[in-house]
Amino acid sequence: MSEDFEPRIIGFLCNWCSYAGADAAGTSRLPYPPNIRIVRVMCSGRVSPELVLRTFREGADGVLVLGCHIGDCHYTDGNHRTAKRIPILRKLLSYVGIEPERLRLEWVSSSEAQRFAQVVSEFTETVRRLGPLELKGGA
Amino acid sequence: MDRLDLLREAARKVLDSGQVEGVLALRADHGGTVPHLFHPGDDLSDLALWPKFPLPRTVDMLLSSHPEARLGIVVRGCDERGLIEMAKRHQVDLARLTLIGLACTAEEVAYCPCTRPYPNEIAVGEAVEGVEHVLAAEQARLSLAERMAFWRRQFAKCFKCYGCRNVCPQCFCEQCTLEDDLWVERGVLAPPFPSFHLIRALHTVGKCIGCHECELSCPADIPLTILYTLLRQDAQEMFGYEPGASLEDKPPLVVAGVT
Repeated sequence: MSEDFEPRIIGFLCNWCSYAGADAAGTSRLPYPPNIRIVRVMCSGRVSPELVLRTFREGADGVLVLGCHIGDCHYTDGNHRTAKRIPILRKLLSYVGIEPERLRLEWVSSSEAQRFAQVVSEFTETVRRLGPLELKGGA
Repeated sequence: MDRLDLLREAARKVLDSGQVEGVLALRADHGGTVPHLFHPGDDLSDLALWPKFPLPRTVDMLLSSHPEARLGIVVRGCDERGLIEMAKRHQVDLARLTLIGLACTAEEVAYCPCTRPYPNEIAVGEAVEGVEHVLAAEQARLSLAERMAFWRRQFAKCFKCYGCRNVCPQCFCEQCTLEDDLWVERGVLAPPFPSFHLIRALHTVGKCIGCHECELSCPADIPLTILYTLLRQDAQEMFGYEPGASLEDKPPLVVAGVT
């Protein structure tokens, strides 16, 4: 792994909680790594497994899914599905040789600017340690 | 009387009961088997057992095209579990079906490894012990790099015949993600990694009842059931859900509620 590897991270953020949390981090001038590219989605439950897989295929080294805390979902239970889907997808990634740590799910509310910055920083470091995602190996 | 004679007798009994318009079973054909609807009074001498073929989707088709019909159907353990999962998703009306349960033999289980090779109610045959999926257990011993090398090699063989999906008793969506250009580009062979087979694997969670038909039908011999078996074990551990075990259990990925 080269020293100057900068991970490419895609963050899927729920419109109602986590995106507002990211916004709050910005207006509060909280620093966080610029590696994350944020995609606003209406609900973390909208992040299908095929969307995550395609994101990896398009060159992401890590995918971060942020949604409302359980109980706070704008759509009542959209994040319930995320809570079950992402762990299963992580299992599948590990079965085909992709580090499951490259996919992370966290709950970040609109008031948790600090938490947002911390999660993004931690995740960026995790992916940096893992190195670039190589999908070509062994074929 | 051998197992096949017993099955014919059981089918005859159901046909003669006057409760059903026909019995869906397998018929010997050109050295193989095909699904066939036997009517009351039909000669049952070509009713067959093997090679096995999943009947739930055929019965779904028959029940849909004949909304008043009541049918009998020969079910192995996997067929019965398949019907239960289909019923949960309103694909089949179990009240219109009379099940004729068939237990698999040890030889059949060796060919098609399964942890529960018998239905809840057995009309023909005797329950034998299920077996674990040896290849799935072996995956755990591989490193991540070895796993990726293995699966990339396997998936590279795929020429997208869609046999795994078409034969699956749990694949009944009107619009299939595997045909959506956004996720699996058309005209690209083999399908890019990671897409096709991983999407399909995820979509089997909470549904796959372990009939192995996908793998048996794959002309490229991709050991698909390794992934499905591992995910089925995960769903069991994470959500306590076993597809096909009961009509009451709710499929974890489609209902609200977190544990």
